[in-house]
Amino acid sequence: MRLALNILLLGVTIGLWGCQQEDKRINMAPDVKSDNALVNIVTKPVIYAFSWITGEGLEIDKAVTYINKDGFMELEIQGHNRAFNTIRFEYKVEWLDNAGLTIDSTTSKWLTWSAAAKGPFVIRAVAPRTTAVDFRMNTRKIPNP
Amino acid sequence: MIKKLLAIVLFASTVTLVGCSPPTENVDTINDSGKAVMQLDYRDFDRAASQMVQSMIESGTFKKEGGGRYVVAKGRIVNDTMQHIDTDQLMGKVEQEMTRSGLIVMTAAVSAGNAPKDSLVFGVREQTRDSDKADEFNKDTVQAKGQLIAPDLSISGKIIQRNIRYDNGKQQVEYYFQLQMNNLTNGLVFWQNEIVLGKRGDSKKVPW
Repeated sequence: MRLALNILLLGVTIGLWGCQQEDKRINMAPDVKSDNALVNIVTKPVIYAFSWITGEGLEIDKAVTYINKDGFMELEIQGHNRAFNTIRFEYKVEWLDNAGLTIDSTTSKWLTWSAAAKGPFVIRAVAPRTTAVDFRMNTRKIPNP
Repeated sequence: MIKKLLAIVLFASTVTLVGCSPPTENVDTINDSGKAVMQLDYRDFDRAASQMVQSMIESGTFKKEGGGRYVVAKGRIVNDTMQHIDTDQLMGKVEQEMTRSGLIVMTAAVSAGNAPKDSLVFGVREQTRDSDKADEFNKDTVQAKGQLIAPDLSISGKIIQRNIRYDNGKQQVEYYFQLQMNNLTNGLVFWQNEIVLGKRGDSKKVPW
């Protein structure tokens, strides 16, 4: 009976240790941070495989736009990578004027970006004209990397 | 008989070889899905120019106090790579976009090396005002003296290439695009940025 209680106590302690609050501002990569009861050398391959099978990738959390002091619209896109591998991709931001027409600019090109495994990423862009009032962004897998 | 057979074989192999050669196709420069190359191609210049322009606008240093636009002269852009690059491939895009942003205006009258960007700025004066044919021109349409605007800033830079050999027959080629805007009044560097593009591949591929 006492042995069962001790095992239970140990299990709860380990479980709580694994659930301890982490500072959300700091991203520790899966292979850098300490293992815990749920993520360890035995379960990692299974978790990685499950992540790959379910096709985990990038997610956008929010897009913030503001007009800077010189009158140019600036954009910051915040997102995170749910996968256990670094994902490189290309994105293209196009700027729209008051009439909803795209602004012709040499800055609207496919640019490369990279999001670390299980980590956050930020994409910044600035409109090339003061007439820009909105944006649209397209992404694609890097063709023939 | 043998001669006939040989001719048929030769004809057949020629037709086959012609059929195997890859057809020429136009590059989709908007959504190009072509393979990366060790040399610099137009996509690299597009990326570098796009990031440079965004950096300039984002810096907030090009808004002239009291309104108006900064007049910029083109300085020297050094090509320190193993490739024959016309540096206007990069600068043309940067100048074009910055001019269209309304923050700067380029001058064609002054540039590095004592040669104006457009020789006609002075050529038209020599031919229409200072030559023996000057009387042929309507005086009201001839450029008066003291009309050219002196530049406030100059843009100069460098493109650098570094080749690094890796193990397992691989090499890495690094390209550094460096640009800076200098205040011609006081010589201070107004803005500066560096974009790095790296390529890794087979060491047998020649990066020039």
